[in-house]
Amino acid sequence: MASQQKNVWAFRFTTLSLVLIPVAVGINYVGKLFAAALKLPLWLDSIGTVLAGMLAGPWIGAISGAVNNIIFGITADPVSFWYLITSIVIGLLVGYLAMTGWIRTFPRAVVLGLIVALAAAIVSTPINVMLWEGTTGNVWGDALYTVLRDGGTPVWIASFIDELVVDLLDKVITVIISFLIFKALPQRLIGLFAGTDQVEKL
Amino acid sequence: MSVIKVENLRYRYPRQTELALDGISFTVEPGEFVGIVGPNKAGKSTLCQALVGLVPHFYKGAIGGRVEVAGLDVHATPVAEVSRKAGIVFQSPFTQMSGAKFSVYEEVAFGLERAGIPREEMLRRIEWALRLLGLWELRDRNPFALSGGQMQRLAIASVLVMQPEVLILDEPTSQLDPAGTSEVFAAVTDLCRQGMTVVMAEHKVDRIAARADKVLVLDRGQVLAWGPPGVVFSREGLEGRGVAVPPVTVAARELGWQEPGGTYPVTVEAAVRIGGAALGRDQG
Amino acid sequence: MQNTLYVPGNSWVHRLDPVSKILLTVVGLVLTFVLPGHLLPALLLAAMLVLLGTAGVLRRVWAVFAGVALIAITFFVVQGLVYAGNATPALTLGPLTFYREGLLLGLRLTFRLYNILASTLILILTTRPSDLVESLVRRGLPSRFGYVIIAVLQIIPIMVEAAGRITDAQRSRGMETEGSLWVRMRAFIPLMGPLVTSSLIATEERALALEVRGFASNRKPTFLNDETIPSYAWPVRIAALAVLLLGIAGRVMLS
Repeated sequence: MASQQKNVWAFRFTTLSLVLIPVAVGINYVGKLFAAALKLPLWLDSIGTVLAGMLAGPWIGAISGAVNNIIFGITADPVSFWYLITSIVIGLLVGYLAMTGWIRTFPRAVVLGLIVALAAAIVSTPINVMLWEGTTGNVWGDALYTVLRDGGTPVWIASFIDELVVDLLDKVITVIISFLIFKALPQRLIGLFAGTDQVEKL
Repeated sequence: MSVIKVENLRYRYPRQTELALDGISFTVEPGEFVGIVGPNKAGKSTLCQALVGLVPHFYKGAIGGRVEVAGLDVHATPVAEVSRKAGIVFQSPFTQMSGAKFSVYEEVAFGLERAGIPREEMLRRIEWALRLLGLWELRDRNPFALSGGQMQRLAIASVLVMQPEVLILDEPTSQLDPAGTSEVFAAVTDLCRQGMTVVMAEHKVDRIAARADKVLVLDRGQVLAWGPPGVVFSREGLEGRGVAVPPVTVAARELGWQEPGGTYPVTVEAAVRIGGAALGRDQG
Repeated sequence: MQNTLYVPGNSWVHRLDPVSKILLTVVGLVLTFVLPGHLLPALLLAAMLVLLGTAGVLRRVWAVFAGVALIAITFFVVQGLVYAGNATPALTLGPLTFYREGLLLGLRLTFRLYNILASTLILILTTRPSDLVESLVRRGLPSRFGYVIIAVLQIIPIMVEAAGRITDAQRSRGMETEGSLWVRMRAFIPLMGPLVTSSLIATEERALALEVRGFASNRKPTFLNDETIPSYAWPVRIAALAVLLLGIAGRVMLS
């Protein structure tokens, strides 16, 4: 079989990849539910976005993230709208890096998780600062922010560290869990969603 | 002119080495009811999907041969276009609900809106299809609040409303309870009586045998038998290949109750007629 | 579980078309960031609450407001303690000193939070999601993307329900809600894995069904429902734009 040339950034908005998006958002919701049921100290609310990126590439990952925040904004918490960009960036990053080999092994997946956490913190910080002077609404992070600001740390840095602390644990574990789930999926499904097969003549 | 013409169809899924369909040929005439039977993994679903172009356009892979449906070359035509001529209903009632509409009435309109049908025409067709499938009273219900049988009838209505020339059903009752199964078979039989061409893949061979004009028996992607149900189910060796045969036919074969043409009966009515005559003879 | 924040009703806001409401929301959001001080944001909030009141949706508004009350409290606490411009002590609780400048900043941030919410709620509480999406599709949004947004709203409750059933089944088998963090984390994947796989298979089936109903066609769609734009839509739009211009002009003049 001829080797397929994969253009990672191609716009492959097939019916299948579009239908994946609502399901990815649903998986986000369910992840959050299970985490709450198991009383884990994590949100775990982006497993669907990450899986969408791993399965169908950066654009579908990004749109899944965007739709997630839009829907969450409509159904529960309008503040989520404003963090749209963070979800989009997560979807883009995971999609791109997954398609270029960063989920081949477990150690690589951990690195991917760290990259995602860092990127999420970097992108969310300006939003936090612009909206409410840098706090994040998370108790532990904001406590740290308070301590840092008390010690004279500039707003941007304190805000970034606040956000990073909150994101690091959650995002790295999200990516690891998504990686494990992805690896356990049947090859048939992975191939179908990757969308790189072609029609050949017999 | 045949509604469906399949010539030497061969197909292989991506990343597989074996053919899922291996040299299938048959034709379907207007108004016929054709049943497709065979053991699991015989290729029944793959064949149904090949009739509307999902194989190969959706699943990709390697394809050979020719499939012509309502005059269209399926391999060279987009699925959206073929499915306006050949409607297909799948196994799971649940996943056939679009998820974009909140009432039965609007759900049926989904395909019509996408096809750009004018509004007055839409309203006519929706009422016709809903009444035909006995869903008119439920038209304001949320599609996900229906029973399995009702949902499957809604799926059929959603397809019918596009006024296709042939209706393809891929094991439509396998996820339904007996009541739902009867609802669907009644609806399909009704449609057939009104002249619709129907192709139906099914495990419930006795129901197929009672209604089909012709039966296609598949095993491992190849055609084992093709013809009227009486001829097909009377063949030797079907059970050995894992193909279900109507119990009535098996019994008739054991008892030697043959139809005049040398085949065995495939329906209870026929068996009773022949067996009755045979018993009458013995007692005569 | 409440599916969306939409509150059914027949007020003038409900009957206003989605595009006009989007305009109202945008005006509210821009003014939130443009208006300086404390009095003007307070007036903006009051005005939007009156508008929401005429729509008959205040009960849901309070519920949403209450939901973020904790965040508002953190504004006061954090900024009151450590805001850079803090100089005048206002309140002392034990070792902690809250400063006037920080508390006032907390107040401004709180107004900002609630103004953002109120602006968005004007649209969201009074508009059926399918109507909103159809409005956008009529004006050029590809209907495939419109579908994606609506499908999310239907599919999520279904998946959440399925997840609830899985959780119940696991609980009866002694799922670990006690035990060490590690044990509880290990229980997560056996819950998520099967759900993801079955969801992906359902996705495949749904995509097949949509393909054969013309989902992928690029034809211009027609609509079952008629769009109704009330006669007062344009006056409302013009009034909203006027207020916006006033607000921007005022800010420019004051600075």
